Amino acid sequence: MSCAFSARSRRYLALWLPYLQADRVRRQERGLPARDNKAKSKVQSPAPLVFVEKVKSALRLVAVDGQARGLGLNPGLTLADARARVPKLRVLEADPAADARFLERIADFCDRYTPLVTIETTGIVILDITGCDHLFPDGEVGLYTDIIGRLDRMDIGACAAIADTPDGARALACFGRHQTAPRISKSGRQARAVSDLPPAALGIPSETVISLFRAGLKTIGDVAKQPRAALAARFGGDLVARLARTLGEEDIRISPRRPLPIVMAEQIFAEPITSADYALVILGELASRASHILEERGEGGRCFEATFHRSDGRVQWLAVQTGHPLRDPRALMRLFRERLDALADPLDPGFGFDLMRLSVLTSEPLTLAQSSLDARTVADDEMIALVDRLNARFGARDVTRFVPVDTHNPERAERMVAAIASNKSPAGLQPKANTNKTKGQPSPSWLPSGQEALPRPIHLFEPPQPIKTTAEVPDGPPFQFTWRKANHRIVRAEGPERIAAEWWRSTDDKPPRDYYRIEDDSGRRFWVFREGLFGEADQPPRWFLHGLFP
Amino acid sequence: MHTYAELATTSNFSFLRGASHAADLVGQALELGHAGIGIADRNTVAGVVRAYAAVEKGKEAYQKLHGPTATLPFKLAVGARLVLADGTPDILAYPEDRAGWGRLCRLLTEGKLRAGKGECLLHLDDLLGHAQGLLLVLMPRRSLDGLDALLPRLQEAAPGALWLAAAMHHRGDDRRRLAGLKSLAEHHGVPLLAVNDVLYHHPSQRPLQDVMTCIREGVTVTSAGRLLEANAERHLKTPQEMARLFRDAPEAVAETLHFLDRISFSLDQLRYEYPDEPVPPGRTAQDWLEELTWRRANLIYTKGIPDKVQRSLKDELALIGRLDYARYFLTIHDIVRHADDQGILCQGRGSAANSAVCFALGITSVDPDQHELLFSRFISAERKEPPDIDVDFEHERREEVIQWVYERYGRHRAGIAATVISYRPRSAIREVGKALGLTEDVTARLADTVWGSWGTELADTQVREAGLDPDNPTIRRAVDLAGQLMGFPRHLSQHVGGFVLTRGRLDELVPIGNAAMDDRTFIEWDKDDIDTLGLMKVDVLALGMLTCLRKGLSLLREHCGIEHNLASVPSEDPAVYEMLQKSDSIGVFQVESRAQINMLPRLKPKEFYDLVIQVAIVRPGPIQGDMVHPYLRRRSCVEEVTYPSPAPPHDPDELRHVLKRTLGVPLFQEQAMKIAMVAAEFTPEEANGLRRAMATFRHLGNMHLYEDKMIEGMVRRGYDRDFAQRCFDQIKGFGEYGFPESHASAFARLVYISAWIKCHHPTIFACALLNSQPMGFYAPAQIVRDAREHGVTVYPADINTSQWDNTLERDETGALALRLGLRQIDGFRENWANTLCTQRVGGYDSIETLWQRTGLPKQALKLLADADALRSIGLDRRTALWAVRRLPDAEPLPLFVAAAQAAELGPEPAADLAPMQLSEHVVADYQTTRLSLKAHPMAFLRDHFRREGVKSAAEVAALRDGAFAKMAGVVLVRQRPGKGNAIFMTLEDETGITNAVIWARRFERFRRAVMGSRLVLVEGRVQKSPEGVIHLMAFGVYDRSSELERLSEAHSARLVLSPADHIKHPLYPRHATQKRDHPRNVRVLPKSRDFH
Repeated sequence: MSCAFSARSRRYLALWLPYLQADRVRRQERGLPARDNKAKSKVQSPAPLVFVEKVKSALRLVAVDGQARGLGLNPGLTLADARARVPKLRVLEADPAADARFLERIADFCDRYTPLVTIETTGIVILDITGCDHLFPDGEVGLYTDIIGRLDRMDIGACAAIADTPDGARALACFGRHQTAPRISKSGRQARAVSDLPPAALGIPSETVISLFRAGLKTIGDVAKQPRAALAARFGGDLVARLARTLGEEDIRISPRRPLPIVMAEQIFAEPITSADYALVILGELASRASHILEERGEGGRCFEATFHRSDGRVQWLAVQTGHPLRDPRALMRLFRERLDALADPLDPGFGFDLMRLSVLTSEPLTLAQSSLDARTVADDEMIALVDRLNARFGARDVTRFVPVDTHNPERAERMVAAIASNKSPAGLQPKANTNKTKGQPSPSWLPSGQEALPRPIHLFEPPQPIKTTAEVPDGPPFQFTWRKANHRIVRAEGPERIAAEWWRSTDDKPPRDYYRIEDDSGRRFWVFREGLFGEADQPPRWFLHGLFP
Repeated sequence: MHTYAELATTSNFSFLRGASHAADLVGQALELGHAGIGIADRNTVAGVVRAYAAVEKGKEAYQKLHGPTATLPFKLAVGARLVLADGTPDILAYPEDRAGWGRLCRLLTEGKLRAGKGECLLHLDDLLGHAQGLLLVLMPRRSLDGLDALLPRLQEAAPGALWLAAAMHHRGDDRRRLAGLKSLAEHHGVPLLAVNDVLYHHPSQRPLQDVMTCIREGVTVTSAGRLLEANAERHLKTPQEMARLFRDAPEAVAETLHFLDRISFSLDQLRYEYPDEPVPPGRTAQDWLEELTWRRANLIYTKGIPDKVQRSLKDELALIGRLDYARYFLTIHDIVRHADDQGILCQGRGSAANSAVCFALGITSVDPDQHELLFSRFISAERKEPPDIDVDFEHERREEVIQWVYERYGRHRAGIAATVISYRPRSAIREVGKALGLTEDVTARLADTVWGSWGTELADTQVREAGLDPDNPTIRRAVDLAGQLMGFPRHLSQHVGGFVLTRGRLDELVPIGNAAMDDRTFIEWDKDDIDTLGLMKVDVLALGMLTCLRKGLSLLREHCGIEHNLASVPSEDPAVYEMLQKSDSIGVFQVESRAQINMLPRLKPKEFYDLVIQVAIVRPGPIQGDMVHPYLRRRSCVEEVTYPSPAPPHDPDELRHVLKRTLGVPLFQEQAMKIAMVAAEFTPEEANGLRRAMATFRHLGNMHLYEDKMIEGMVRRGYDRDFAQRCFDQIKGFGEYGFPESHASAFARLVYISAWIKCHHPTIFACALLNSQPMGFYAPAQIVRDAREHGVTVYPADINTSQWDNTLERDETGALALRLGLRQIDGFRENWANTLCTQRVGGYDSIETLWQRTGLPKQALKLLADADALRSIGLDRRTALWAVRRLPDAEPLPLFVAAAQAAELGPEPAADLAPMQLSEHVVADYQTTRLSLKAHPMAFLRDHFRREGVKSAAEVAALRDGAFAKMAGVVLVRQRPGKGNAIFMTLEDETGITNAVIWARRFERFRRAVMGSRLVLVEGRVQKSPEGVIHLMAFGVYDRSSELERLSEAHSARLVLSPADHIKHPLYPRHATQKRDHPRNVRVLPKSRDFH
């Protein structure tokens, strides 16, 4: 089926996720492979979970799970206070970025109900469900039950409410009293539904809430009874505007987070489809349905987007853009297949797709137009293109490059990362950026900053090659050494450069090494080291050849 | 035979760089047979006194071994490593002579005064101007660029006193680099000096040094990379090894001795001289002190100086003359006199303060005619300690005294001593854990577990208790390294009030730097360093009770016409002791805590000396030494007074003299010391060492040396081992909070005076106490409540009658009544109050006049309305707030436009506001002023609780011992004293106070209720002691804070959700957009005072 959007009295569903952070972590941990026993035991552990953030040098709770809330631990409490009350707490650092991503995923999931979805900063998702309820047997009740049920199966706790305005729905979702019946205020009856809620449900600053309370206005109904002019004079126009919107007297529409499609075709499956190939067949059908509509409009699409809703709530997108307007379904499907082949992860139906949608996001009148080929040939772009191609063919694991690691230890001075990974240094290797004490070390370079470079061979033996030497005691360079049965007489030498083991690694209890740069009588240059010092251990120190200088 | 001296040594006073104590460095240098050592920390000389003390100790040990005339062949050079802000390589500066030291100190002072606290901002030009008398060592960086230009400049500034340092750090190119430095040195004619640029005394300190680097740079050890040293070579090396490393330049090693020879300065050349100001020209100090003392004594004792006092004065003055302490007393007198002139109350305490001379000079108010003196017992010719007088001033006005001292002596001659802030167990484990990459969560748990159990190996079980794996090498390593880091200095802070005053320039004695506080400057040495060098310190401390007493005494003068000062308040008034015996001591100095209140009816103080004991007995020392109960038993004559005695041939009565005043039970710090000297035959030096160890017990663990010596010494002489052990445990307890008798007796006087005012003038006492807040143990609500229980009429704050401070007025019967001040309103500002009062002439009759006349911001008016302070113009809180909120936000216009403005605020339709109920008012009172005169919140819940069989505090108090009771009240204080076996909760309802005790084993079960409640229900058994102390021994504690919400719910039908509902249906965080909750929203009742 397909639908166009018309203007009529609107209906909104607000979704509040009280334990967003905890739900995110629990889902993540369940997703871990089973062999990780430690993580598994954590999942089962009954310790209440709280999230903390440093606020003015004190760690404070910013989010909690249901169990912690039940124990009276609320956001805002300091961690020390919380621990004093409940010593066995599981404490995680708040990760607002991850929370935001998780909320995005939930909003993605909500796309199945309506393309008009928005996310509020406070962790609330609002859906404009005008005209969407007829898809459910019980209308809005059915939609409400469906969304709560699906989220529940995804182990996401949610409170929802449906009302005439976004503000009204939000107020009911967050502050409505717990009832078995769905929190749905019938069209036009919103003012009554919200009148029992506390003024805080208006989304006003706490200072105003207190002031209203002091004036004896303890519910939205109490506030609504006051003359609006008197309220505006005392609490500002904002309160009056919010009151009107919450009461349903005035509607401000939501601005959807994703562009509204111009043309849309979708298919719901009673039985989720588990074959990716079959999904493509369906996509082909949707493409021809969309192309009919485009044809009627005399347009062609420039940007197409296929949406695959999985029954477990995950959503996958596949977008193609074209250089010129297009509406031929076969050509479109060819583009989609190419796009699919280029994907690192193939289309994964998991437990099956239960809804698929094809949207046309931008369109133009279908006329002949000159295709403008971009002719940029920047070396970087070519390199990136090469990496992309190699990557596509061999996989990210097999195409790697070196990055420097900041360490004294020559063996550890570099490491391999996937070539496709960003050019930035791996996390955790840089000094704290905000420490002004640290003199600018933007990223570890191959040379130590502010010091003269110590010569290092291009090639290192892994492992170092044992050699036989004679050398001056205690720390003189070798006179000669034997390697692979060949004897080398040393004519020039410099050293020692003493590098001690990295004591913080449990495996590194080796003695320090003394490195020497040496040159033999035929001009070949070597990098050798003596492991250990004379007279310190029972055994005499051993010598190794570690690298060759060009 | 090789000889060498390391001249580039960094101690741990180069914070987070040097990884060894100065004493360890000196010890290691002695061990290795060095000819000397040069200590130069980064822009500071803070650590050199410790090195000096270590060398002195080494000398003593050497003389013990080789005879008293032998001199240790070891020389200490002290200096600083100048780290310049302009990118010049570091330069070591060692003073050649005393004048050079003075210049170095002034150079550092200049750099420090220019920068913020703990920083030093120096440029090369500063050094070039100050270089006379300094020997300079240039420490080249890795790159030698720029030295060619720098060397001639330095040479010009310090001709013949410049060296170029060379170090061999095993960096691969050492010999090439040495050759480069050598030719550079030859080219410029500057001698080359062999150094090792030492960071620690032994290579085993490398991990610690690496960790310190990480802490400094804010990185973890795995990511620090080349910020760390590549190897462990920066330690003190043997002369042989140095000679071998420098075989290409042997002259550089020999130069270290030449360098050392050039230095003739040593810290013992720093002579302390008292400032001249207090002695008039032409008089000697002693002669002036005597004249002053007798003159003032004659003024005090108008009927003639009593014989006893005369004798004391003569003896004391003779002793002071013998020890040459006269100028010390005069200096203190100088400061005290100034305070007196300014009307600032002060009181001296400490061993020297407890003297007739100090009474005569007005330094203390303990009358020697009526009380025993301690002076000659603690100041004696043998003990070469500087006299000890701490002077407490009113806390609100101490800054005036401090600034006056700076002004009188000049900032170049007066400075506050430093306090070295060291790594404590918690900070050490936190920082080390972070550097090793442990999460905050793990380190916090480790820190909690190991708290208090340091010095011993951290047992695996303890680590396991914290839920961590003891076999985890990182955790093990973190604990070990934290142990090493503990006791390391972290930063310098200013001492609470110890001034060093000198006759000459102080900044040529020691560098002076800025403190974090404005207008404060402090020196680099702490009080131990000052002791070591024999400098004198005067303690200028702050005491809240003195502020309260001064306010009380002036109110007394103003309203009752009674004139008193600290010394003239009538002594030994039986009514005062009677009041204290009844535990009626809220607000009284020192004896108002729960534990003290419980002790009062047991001790039943009858005279001044009982108060001295009362102050000292509820302290960790006597409690840990288990001395409290024996004393109480003897006092109530249940137990016979006996004196432990040694076996013959020793004097069996030797302890009788020490312990007579305290019935044979040692209670004071001095007694414990005296026991060590008498019973365990400690020498005065050893006793002094024990006292020092006691003071620093938490930092250094050398107490066990004294423990063996004292206990074995006492047992050897025939004392009971158990008694000896208890004496020592008590000394350990003093280490936590030492409390000497000399301090106790000074405090006891303040106890008496505050009790006297409370007893005879409760209104004045409450008023003075409220005006001195924050101080003491109780919140305004309890102070007001206590005053009302003593029959004081208290009026609420009001715009037409209140000042900023709480004031006194006459009620209708003509008695004094307390009017709350505007300062009790949270968030209200003093300047608002002043405007309000100055514009009040004729009174305010409406909000409009108030607003127009005062021009106060709307916020101020809102606070007044919210505090219900507009009743005198006929507006209650709700109506007033509704009206105030309507005022425009902007400042009111000048008067002539105001009329027009007022017209604009024309009539509006009347609002339909429900009247505010009394319970709501009470809650709002608590939210705005932290107290309510209208009612107690529990009064509204009484019926509700009555149905559950809950009794009131008064009813509980009337129950018999052992009865079962339920009591509910607001939580005032939670305490977990001593070892934490019991938790005390003080609960309040409308009838009074109940003290609940929860044993630690039950605590865990009710932890949440105990820690989280504002309103709590406790069930338990009543326990009554023979003295009438009542406790409710709890076996159940339940959080009923949610009941408080009822008070402000207009519609009582709406029930508060039960916690179970919160799980199913959480409440939306009221203001998720705001980071911090508004405190007034969160708090229905003020937060109680808690332990953590």
